[in-house]
Amino acid sequence: MAFNDFREFIDKLEKEGQLVRIKQEVDWNLEAGSIIRKCEETPDGPSPLFENIKGYPKGYRLLGDPFSSGIKKAAIAAGLPADMPYVETHKAMMDLWDEGLANPIKPKIVKSGPCKENILKGDKINIYNFPALMLHEGDGGRYIGALHTTVTKDLDSDWVNWGCYRIMIHNKNTLGGFVGPQQHMASMFSKYEEKNMPMPFATAIGTDPIVQAISFSSLPYGVDEADVAGGIRKQPVELVKCETNDLYVPATAEVVIEGHVLPNVRMDEGPFGEYSGYRASPRAPRIVYKIDCITHRNDPILAAVCEGVPITASHTVQSVGWGSGIRKALRDEGLPIVEVNLVPETALFLCIVSTKVPYCNIAERIGHIIFGCKAGTYVMKVIVVDDDISPYNLAEVFHAFATKCHPVRGTHTSPYATGNPLIPFQNLEERLWSKGCRVVYDCTWPIDWPAEIAVPPRSSFNSIFPKHIQEKVLANWKNYGFKD
Amino acid sequence: MAKEYDTFVETLADLKEGEEIELSIRNLENYEAQNVKAIVYSSKENLPDGDTLWIRFSRGVKHKEPWAIKIIEELPFSII
Repeated sequence: MAFNDFREFIDKLEKEGQLVRIKQEVDWNLEAGSIIRKCEETPDGPSPLFENIKGYPKGYRLLGDPFSSGIKKAAIAAGLPADMPYVETHKAMMDLWDEGLANPIKPKIVKSGPCKENILKGDKINIYNFPALMLHEGDGGRYIGALHTTVTKDLDSDWVNWGCYRIMIHNKNTLGGFVGPQQHMASMFSKYEEKNMPMPFATAIGTDPIVQAISFSSLPYGVDEADVAGGIRKQPVELVKCETNDLYVPATAEVVIEGHVLPNVRMDEGPFGEYSGYRASPRAPRIVYKIDCITHRNDPILAAVCEGVPITASHTVQSVGWGSGIRKALRDEGLPIVEVNLVPETALFLCIVSTKVPYCNIAERIGHIIFGCKAGTYVMKVIVVDDDISPYNLAEVFHAFATKCHPVRGTHTSPYATGNPLIPFQNLEERLWSKGCRVVYDCTWPIDWPAEIAVPPRSSFNSIFPKHIQEKVLANWKNYGFKD
Repeated sequence: MAKEYDTFVETLADLKEGEEIELSIRNLENYEAQNVKAIVYSSKENLPDGDTLWIRFSRGVKHKEPWAIKIIEELPFSII
């Protein structure tokens, strides 16, 4: 059964021991951010719910990274048992994403909802009345958009995009943000901007967790995240019309910011400690949002991720969402892949794929399909292993990488690829222009090697001893004096 | 009591000392952006009645010593 709102999810996290209510006063200026970061760096640690934020009314709260530091909280969000092993959970969540995409459910439009309990327009608009955090020391500003869903609509069709693009406060009614050039919101905005038209937007903060999670996904061009969220939830997302534009937002959202993105206008935004684990992109001219209206629930609960080194919500949820998209792209091409792991610990720059090898150089084909699909936009390195190695077993993968990947013949580079301003290994000029490069590491045995003489037998318990010896040893393990 | 502000620069050479310059600064009480006409100096001694101006480079790294700033005029919050 899907959660109806953010508050139900918070209650469930607390029941599962995955939440700490912080009643002591906490400063929005770096203190809250550093607490969230500490939680994100604690494996399977709980999320902090700040109930007493310095300078803000009682009742104004903020939940720090509800999907951090492991997959348990994301499993709870998806309605899966929190105590399932990591690999099972990750695969089950990717299957859920596949099902949601294959069986979308259109949203249900409702007349009103909790997000309309307070409606602020005109002189009443002041975004500083909400506890936006100064997350990292040295950031370009306070980020009201650090875990949210921004809604925009295509100018030429009915396609509605949901995405999570960082949003910084310039002043009480002006915001700025980073949107990558390959992201759907950027392609939508370019159409408005060509005609010098403002693009309506609505940003919902504090939604049911699947709405939040799908906003991190990278769905194919033209697919509405709202429909896929319905498919994952197995029931429609309830949406309500905005006050000042024709967009629709989740009716139970804690806070909704409505407005428009100004055409042909840029203001300096950032820098920001990003999901790559670094503050790689500089303060630079970026898009500007003007606020037309703010609606919110009574005693609103905001949300924020303190991005940085893995594992944050971005890494966990995008590992699932982007991972399932990559797996689908490979399967759609009929490739005999077994498993895909878009590794959260690598900030999603590395994807590992296991495959059967029916023909030469399949690794390079796998790599190029990943680099060419939407879900693989930000993957810069691909490791391809044989089907006897699980991409989730990083020790086995690194062993294969070190021993089976020929440094020259097994390394396939694409030196002139599309990049991303947030990638740390690119130089300043490459980051400015989103010039990238990508690489595939082929860790499979070449099929043109004679198996009997050229492929070295693997020396492990499971592979270099006869089956009957393995079974005998396992059956007698405790008799030998070992505990397990 | 002196107020505290900061500004982002590519290099320190972006800030011309002793001249009236237009500058985008942040009020460090709430990080609101302000555009101002101001005079800045690298040494507080040259602006004894000035406020504190911290300098950050484009990726957020803080210059170790604060500068001083005297705001001559607050400019409208114009969008460039």
